[in-house]
Amino acid sequence: MRVSALATLIGAVLAVTAAPAMAAWRSYISHPLGFAFAAPGELKVEKGAYRGAVAGARDALIYRFVADDIEYKAVVIDMNDKANDAATLLGEAEYNFQSGKKVLMDTFGRVDRQYGRKLTIDLPNNSGRASAAFYFINGRIISLQATVLPANGDYDTPDMGRFVDSITFFTVRAEDDAIELPMPAK
Amino acid sequence: MLRQMLAALAAVVAASAPAQAAWKSYINRELGFSFMAPGEVKTSVGTFRGAIAGPRQTIVYRSVENNIEYKVTVMSFIQAQAEGATLLGEREYMFQDGKGKKVLVDTFARVEPGKDAVYGRKIVVDLPGDKARSTGAFYFTKGRLISLEATVLAANGDFASPDPGRFIDSIVFVLSRTEPGAIELETPKLE
Repeated sequence: MRVSALATLIGAVLAVTAAPAMAAWRSYISHPLGFAFAAPGELKVEKGAYRGAVAGARDALIYRFVADDIEYKAVVIDMNDKANDAATLLGEAEYNFQSGKKVLMDTFGRVDRQYGRKLTIDLPNNSGRASAAFYFINGRIISLQATVLPANGDYDTPDMGRFVDSITFFTVRAEDDAIELPMPAK
Repeated sequence: MLRQMLAALAAVVAASAPAQAAWKSYINRELGFSFMAPGEVKTSVGTFRGAIAGPRQTIVYRSVENNIEYKVTVMSFIQAQAEGATLLGEREYMFQDGKGKKVLVDTFARVEPGKDAVYGRKIVVDLPGDKARSTGAFYFTKGRLISLEATVLAANGDFASPDPGRFIDSIVFVLSRTEPGAIELETPKLE
């Protein structure tokens, strides 16, 4: 009896230690940018670049996380000076995301009175699968993008959807303990 | 004798084919677009209501030919241009939403090249009961939501007709690309 109980305990310990470490998901909010989302892993703030034929060259603000070989990015592109072209600028960003890739899903995104789109693509050369949501609000393109890297390999993981669908534009809907996202130094 | 028989056969075939109306080019310089359609295009004022758009008056250019309805609808959102992406999304969503509708195609649409590009979407739906097929293209540019819809009615029955595609793809926003001799469309006054 004692032997079997010990064996069960050892088995349980092995099962826990063999499973990949699950990073805790936390809620993040940006009051100045007017959105919130949830992501696992450690937050890094980066600057990126975006270019579109209509949009021109733009700086992008990227909130980036990596956990369990999945990269999570919230990308903010300021388009205030061309906000009257909102529909075309958003369409161009969506088009650029999937251009030249294999599209697995392309559907409506609807969050808090905002219409956008959700897309899932396979990246070239088996380099991963990416899901993204795109919205245009308050003169900015806001995009959440989750990429499952080959090292993870679970391309059907629900974590991509959890991240992309966590966005909210009614900041009152964010978790009470949401962490305020830092704004880059000017 | 053989020649006479062939001539008679050709006449029968010609008579049994549906009459093909000429396609004409139409332009509205004030609203900033042109398109092509068959049949007689009539102008009217309609209404639209969306949760985000609210109640709106619409300008409608419509023709019916060979049991296909062609419709261009224009809504003005000059005061809400920065909301264009959401207003366009709502219009697209409403086009394909509804009990019994079946979405066959939902894809990117782009008119004009390079920095003049206007991005929208093209959607094809089967209407409830498979009684008709509707093809729509939706754009938001210069403060106006412009939609083109072609509906093949059951009386036509050729749901794979190329005519809806020809209509939808005829939209032009850079008016220098409009065919010469395009017919000028009037812009009705809205309340």
